[in-house]
Amino acid sequence: MPKLTIDGKEIEVADGLTILQACEQADVEIPRFCYHERLSIAGNCRMCLVEMERAPKPVASCAMPAGEGMVIKTNTPLVKKAREGVMEFMLINHPLDCPICDQGGECDLQDQSMAYGLDGTRYTEPKRAMAEQNFGPLIKTEMTRCISCTRCVRFTTEVAGVHELGQTGRGEDAEIVTYIGAVVSNEMSGNIIDLCPVGALTSRPYEFNARPWELRKTETIDVMDAVGSNIRVDVRGREVMRVLPINNDDVNEEWISDKTRFIWDGLKNRRLDTPYVRDSRGLLIAASWSDAFEAIAKQVKKSDAKKMAGLVGDLNGAEEIFAFKTLLNGLGVDNIDCRQDGSNIRPEWAGRAGYTFNSSINGIEDADALLIIGSNPRLEATVLNSRIVKAIKHNEMPVGLVGEAVDLAYEYQHIGNGAESLNELLKGKHSFAKILKSAKKPMIIVGQGAFIGDDAKAIFETIATLATKIGAIKKSWNGLNFLQTGASRVAALDLGCVPKDKKSNKSTILAKSKAGKLDLLFLLAADEMKLCDLDNSFVVYIGTHGDVGANSADVILPSAAYTEKYATYVNLEGRAQLGQKATFPPGDAKEDWAIFRALSAHLGAPLPFDSLEELRTLMYKTVPTLANIGGLDAADMGAFASLKVSGEISSTPLLSTITDYYHSNPIARASAIMDDCKAAKAAAIAEATGTNG
Amino acid sequence: MVEYFLTHIWPILSIFVHSLAVLVLLLVAVAFLLLLDRKIWAAVQLRRGPNVVGPFGLLQSFADLLKFVFKEVIIPSGANKFIFIIAPFVTCTLALAVWAIVPISEGWEVANLNLGILYVFAISSLGVYGIIMGGWASNSKYAFLGAMRSTAQMVSYEVSIGFVLITVLLVTGTLNLTEIVNAQKSEYGMFGWYWLMLFPMFVVFFISALAETNRPPFDLPEAESELVAGFMIEYSSTPYLLYMLGEYVSITFMCALTTILFLGGWLPIFDIAPFTWIPGFVWFILKSVGVFFMFGMVKAFVPRYRYDQLMRLGWKVLLPISMAMVVIVATVIFAFDLYPNVATA
Amino acid sequence: MMATIKQTINSLFLREFVSAFFLTMRYFFTAKPTINYPFEKGPLSPRFRGEHALRRYPNGQERCIACKLCEAICPAQAITIEAGPRRNDGTRRTTRYDIDMTKCIYCGFCQEACPVEAIVEGPNFEYATETREELFYDKDKLLENGDKWEQQLAKNIELDAPYR
Repeated sequence: MPKLTIDGKEIEVADGLTILQACEQADVEIPRFCYHERLSIAGNCRMCLVEMERAPKPVASCAMPAGEGMVIKTNTPLVKKAREGVMEFMLINHPLDCPICDQGGECDLQDQSMAYGLDGTRYTEPKRAMAEQNFGPLIKTEMTRCISCTRCVRFTTEVAGVHELGQTGRGEDAEIVTYIGAVVSNEMSGNIIDLCPVGALTSRPYEFNARPWELRKTETIDVMDAVGSNIRVDVRGREVMRVLPINNDDVNEEWISDKTRFIWDGLKNRRLDTPYVRDSRGLLIAASWSDAFEAIAKQVKKSDAKKMAGLVGDLNGAEEIFAFKTLLNGLGVDNIDCRQDGSNIRPEWAGRAGYTFNSSINGIEDADALLIIGSNPRLEATVLNSRIVKAIKHNEMPVGLVGEAVDLAYEYQHIGNGAESLNELLKGKHSFAKILKSAKKPMIIVGQGAFIGDDAKAIFETIATLATKIGAIKKSWNGLNFLQTGASRVAALDLGCVPKDKKSNKSTILAKSKAGKLDLLFLLAADEMKLCDLDNSFVVYIGTHGDVGANSADVILPSAAYTEKYATYVNLEGRAQLGQKATFPPGDAKEDWAIFRALSAHLGAPLPFDSLEELRTLMYKTVPTLANIGGLDAADMGAFASLKVSGEISSTPLLSTITDYYHSNPIARASAIMDDCKAAKAAAIAEATGTNG
Repeated sequence: MVEYFLTHIWPILSIFVHSLAVLVLLLVAVAFLLLLDRKIWAAVQLRRGPNVVGPFGLLQSFADLLKFVFKEVIIPSGANKFIFIIAPFVTCTLALAVWAIVPISEGWEVANLNLGILYVFAISSLGVYGIIMGGWASNSKYAFLGAMRSTAQMVSYEVSIGFVLITVLLVTGTLNLTEIVNAQKSEYGMFGWYWLMLFPMFVVFFISALAETNRPPFDLPEAESELVAGFMIEYSSTPYLLYMLGEYVSITFMCALTTILFLGGWLPIFDIAPFTWIPGFVWFILKSVGVFFMFGMVKAFVPRYRYDQLMRLGWKVLLPISMAMVVIVATVIFAFDLYPNVATA
Repeated sequence: MMATIKQTINSLFLREFVSAFFLTMRYFFTAKPTINYPFEKGPLSPRFRGEHALRRYPNGQERCIACKLCEAICPAQAITIEAGPRRNDGTRRTTRYDIDMTKCIYCGFCQEACPVEAIVEGPNFEYATETREELFYDKDKLLENGDKWEQQLAKNIELDAPYR
């Protein structure tokens, strides 16, 4: 615990901190460009120079460890002159094009040159100019503006875990480049836009669209995956202009995936803005809300409750799932399923611990061995995967994978394709079993891909047994994690959205419909299924986009997307977070819970709530954990110990449930940016494999 | 046949032609007086006034007329349509009707009534109806308030005007306007006219005339800067034009009446050679325009009265003065046996 | 007593009225300072802030780069800008540049904020319209103004340059 003096104030800081961090703790602001809390230290911008007693020249505070008895001064003429000098050098080659730069208004260089720089320049020679780089469809480059802080390079290697960027040349020729011919195509690349302290890397889809001061900012929760990244939605007028991450150390740190960041144009395309009812000719005709409700009421009246079913999609908030379930249960329907990825996991197997990420995302950093089963975390939970990258970089955590061998952005030991290789681990035959066994805090991440088949229960029991055996479940450590992919999945499972009949799942429901044994099917924004054979049932689709579900529907009720409503989202850890309303639903579309409330009145049995507050009160009474906003209740792991392997495991390969990453939900499918990403990714892969001719 | 024509049709036709002539001349005169009014005001305020339409802006009033006529007539939805439309006609018609008895020169009038003054009284009292009808029919509280104020003001000042006329009658002994003018004929020329003899009454009459015609400084009913036209607030287009026209015709009438009562009508300023060559109607017009010039000047240099000041002036100053003058004049006539020669009547 | 009589006589014979009359008569005949407006016009300062215009460079390229500083500074929020890359070369340009002339307070901040002297308030103040809609200027109208007044705008900027 070194003690040092900063601007005359004595402060004691933790071991291993740098002077810059110590200054932060002493509430002294140090300007910086290259230094970033979550990246390694580069020390190449020199903006953080401070004066240290008995040092011959100013020292770079970001790279100098705080030592006992140091006397640091940050407000002396020397420091001021040093900053002005550094700033002047920085601006020598930086173009004065702030008016046409998208970073203008939120630019570190702009702010800091106002605060610490000189007002003129002494440089009259020609400035350096750099060619634009091709960083793919998401990132626009203006390399002339680059100040070579190398934050982007460090981010891609350290956080995204891929080697895509680097710096070449020296001095004036120093340049940030991609590997020859390659583009930046990792799923986290958007974060380098935020990291870039100048306008060298800007968002291409957002190019010239808006200025930061025009935007209304709303902090809410992302639904592209089950991580529940904290985001800020920037809105101008009624239009979402961009999505940015906000810091939440427990969930996404300050990163978000590209899908989260660039999905926003999908919120404007192909939206359902008015109810539709299919007429006698089989055409969907725009209708009024009361007409649509009337059509549903007519069908409900002549349908048997046994022949009705409901499917819950991936993007819904807990409130509307609760309203949906209450409404259907009121009609006597108990055939409601939320597992639209085909997973056969059931909440009663092991309680809440049987479907959530029990060790929490922060727990990944504590783990010292990791076994991934039936999952591709890079696609299923991109930000979570960067935590794994971080853990590997920091702890040299060994990783094993059971399932399809995919590129996870880190090295792993491939144990087997099918679940039967779990038996090898269980018997201790495989070399990785020893690693797991010797680990103090082993971790298992199980994707939903493991539970697709009929042997789901057997696999679940096998994994539980394995976890118990290797010590992943003990009092102080809870390392058995289930990775959900749908943002609404954990909430839906919490609320009990699985069919009462244990054999029933989404496949059987769809099969029943095909066979004409289903009169009425409600789809709550459920699109990720083969919904082409629903002609024999009356289908009501409640959702936001004119996607697969809407296409097969007989009545469409337009609802609000995640940026347009207040809703609770429970992430894969089981952490309930509140999403805020950033803008309004388009046209006649309404918030989902209000639709169900209105529909219930038409069906003659009004739901017992008239406002979102009343609904929440009722919902919290049903599932108390949802009331713990932002917090995490440790799930009871007791049920795992009593599980015994009761069936045979087939050798079918375990595939990830995310097959088409950039098109994994209706919003993404409506997004032109996602189309571009998909094309760019395909091109990058084709080039890498040499199959592009 | 010829006799029938001469006895029955010709008088009617003659009256018709006379009336038409008066009407046309009057309206043309009003057009130019309006311009004069604006020019006077402008000149005092160091402006040029209207000077674009026609030479020196002479056609400005006709341009305004066209503008008013071609604008849309807006009738408020809550208005009493019939009365709303009829009210400006009432004002305008009454203002024109009173001109029937004005002698522009000896014998130059539509009707030479022996009860001329009484007719003036009767018709000008009716003028209030046009205003109160318009104010009430508009179904707007502002218009109604304006009408009430206007009515109160006109009624108040009519009383003083009445007493002023009575003093003149006492002196002349006739109600016939032609004879009133003739009674002012004397060897003293303009100093024999009543403005000097009855100077206080002349002043009272002038002030009351301003108030009676809602001219500044007594333009409280319509005070454009405060009340946006008072009782006329809901009026537009032609009905509004009729109100304004009625008002200006009243003003010209008041100028004419002042000329007749106090400034010797068509009489030349001195009954000697060069002045007698000028025809009577020219004198009459010159004098009337002179009075109108004063009307215009007053507008330019006297600030507007407050309503209570207006009422105080009417009831507490002008009325006592005029009443006292009636008594004084009557006493003087009685005491010195100065009864007018009533044999002509 | 004397004062009362004096005042009574003064008011009876309208002394103030008469003196006011003569005063006004004096003004009646003094020379009129009014400019005969549509036919004569007063001098305008090069800094005069009249109708807005968007200027072009001599080569015909529009100056505005859609930096939105004018929109940001506008105290009446009369300016609306939407920006985007230009189709042929991807440079930053406005796709929409609207000024609501009925909102504008003619403070000239837009002109001062502009880094490229694109938006200027020109010498024209005679642009009354018959309908309100005509006062919602769009980019075409503003550019047209710029083309129409360019000579004078350039001259005014040049004249004012030493003081900036």
